[in-house]
Amino acid sequence: MNFLFHLSERVNPFQSIIILSAAVLISSFFALSKSKAVKKFLIVLVSISLIIAFYLNIYSYLSMGSFSSFLIFFENIQMIEIGIIIFSAISVLYFISAYHVDDENFSKILIIFLFSVICGAFVILSKNFILMFVSISVFILSIFQLISATNSGVDKISLHVFEFFLRPVLAIILFFFGFSLLYGVTDFKDFNQILQSEYMSDALVILTLIIFGIALYLYFFLFPFQGPYMRMIKKGSFSTASVIWFFYFPVGVFTLINTGSLFLFFIERNNTFLPVLLIIITYFCMLAANIGAVKTGSVRRIMSFLFLFFMSIFLLNISMYSTGIIDRGSMDLFNLVNIFIILFSFMPLCSIFNNIEKNTGADNINNVIGLGRINIYAGINIIVIFLSWFGFLYYIEPVRAYLDRVDFLKMGAASSMVLVAMVTGFIFFSVNIFRILGKIFNRPSGGEAGKVLFTGSLYAYITFFSVITLLGIVTILLVILDIDIVFLDFKITGFNF
Amino acid sequence: MGYGNRGEEKMSFQLIIYANLLLLLIGIFGILYSKDIVSIFVSMQLIIISGVMNFLVFSQFLYQRSLWDKIFIILGVTIIYFVMFCLVYYLYLNKDELSRETLYNNFKFFKIKKSDWWGEDNI
Repeated sequence: MNFLFHLSERVNPFQSIIILSAAVLISSFFALSKSKAVKKFLIVLVSISLIIAFYLNIYSYLSMGSFSSFLIFFENIQMIEIGIIIFSAISVLYFISAYHVDDENFSKILIIFLFSVICGAFVILSKNFILMFVSISVFILSIFQLISATNSGVDKISLHVFEFFLRPVLAIILFFFGFSLLYGVTDFKDFNQILQSEYMSDALVILTLIIFGIALYLYFFLFPFQGPYMRMIKKGSFSTASVIWFFYFPVGVFTLINTGSLFLFFIERNNTFLPVLLIIITYFCMLAANIGAVKTGSVRRIMSFLFLFFMSIFLLNISMYSTGIIDRGSMDLFNLVNIFIILFSFMPLCSIFNNIEKNTGADNINNVIGLGRINIYAGINIIVIFLSWFGFLYYIEPVRAYLDRVDFLKMGAASSMVLVAMVTGFIFFSVNIFRILGKIFNRPSGGEAGKVLFTGSLYAYITFFSVITLLGIVTILLVILDIDIVFLDFKITGFNF
Repeated sequence: MGYGNRGEEKMSFQLIIYANLLLLLIGIFGILYSKDIVSIFVSMQLIIISGVMNFLVFSQFLYQRSLWDKIFIILGVTIIYFVMFCLVYYLYLNKDELSRETLYNNFKFFKIKKSDWWGEDNI
């Protein structure tokens, strides 16, 4: 036991990564096997390794605390982020296993999948520019391999996959150029050193900031450049959306959080242009995503647009911070809450809509008409999951506090723009929610919804997320209403980074 | 690179920086303007070269030829080219007639179609 503890201490904070690497190593011995028993064994092996990695990630932080070196840093926020990635991985494993277990190359898909989880963890841990750049590049490469492997049987998908991955490739090229400029301003090797230096106001740093901003904008496929993302999700296999939504985008968000300290520096310096630019982009992204979702009848496109809306919420949080509506701690908290809302709502919804499409054979919102009446249990779960989107009610409190202390007539133009963007965005968002719920609980007209069969594993999957969502809603309500309960000694508003 | 007197050194440094900026702008223009995939890849490579030159120039003139930037260049360029190679190879393996026509004659990196946002996309 002492030996294990000593070993764990020596490899801190790489315990979870080592476990995942060991799973990759073991899986590689079975890479060529097509036997069903081996495939089942690999699914169990990967699941267990992910669960152990999840546990070790939390355990290593609690037992050994923060860690920082020349290349990496591991603090509470990194621990949470890696936990999110591993949790997403468990969910993506469910999708891959459900839709690709009969594929010849299933074992190889699992190996690439585990490899991309490891790369995602390195993106989060990285501190040094070299590791940061290498890990994000290799992560994009592994996601590309995963997507191309899971879409190998889909007809005429190659052009869409190619178009999609050209964007992140340009993003990493721009990152490379940006890092070269940062190196020119100062020979510091990480963002913290640069933030503490006197070089921050240098023109080259501002140029770097612009280049990083463009790279991240391309990476997230924000409006109006969402075309390749939409086409790939629409045309791709069932698991494509899950890989992109629960791997590609969250890791991008963590990269944004890592580089975000540079942007926040200029916001804190009362720079006028950056907040206004951010607000305009936020406004367009929120509005365009919701209108796009309203105008389409394809479920995949609706969900993709709504996902883009959630991505623009990150921009909204930064905009709110830039105009003083919320403070830094609230912004970090909102970003984290947003990630949780995304994962805990999109995972079950993705599985439900994939199942409907698989059963009815078409990607159309009209196929869900009456589903809530035919399958009442699924309908209730869908309502609970959609309720989690009302987690945005959490914004009411800081906005109210802000409006209380600010005179309406003397409110700045930027703050007014943020509030208008927020209200308009959420109105359109509500329209989308009620549109989908309206279809689900409408009287069944055709027989399409009656064809939808829910398997036991799917019921278990959506029930798990519904229960978690219900617990979350109850906790948030208790916090908002300021009700103290003994066993809830933890207060969300008191959470500090 | 030989060192002359102080004035010459400063001038060549500025010249190289301007040349790098020019390369970057040509690369960006190429990505925005080109209609075939080969030109877009070439434009991307111009940006990579511009970044590499930045590293080398800053290292040479400002930081006494440090090792850190060389490691960054080797790792960075290798990975970027590897990703690009994988993309090209994937396309080469799966390319059909329609894709070939699109890629060589009618491919815009930032093509924005109405169907990407408004209504349905019948692909």
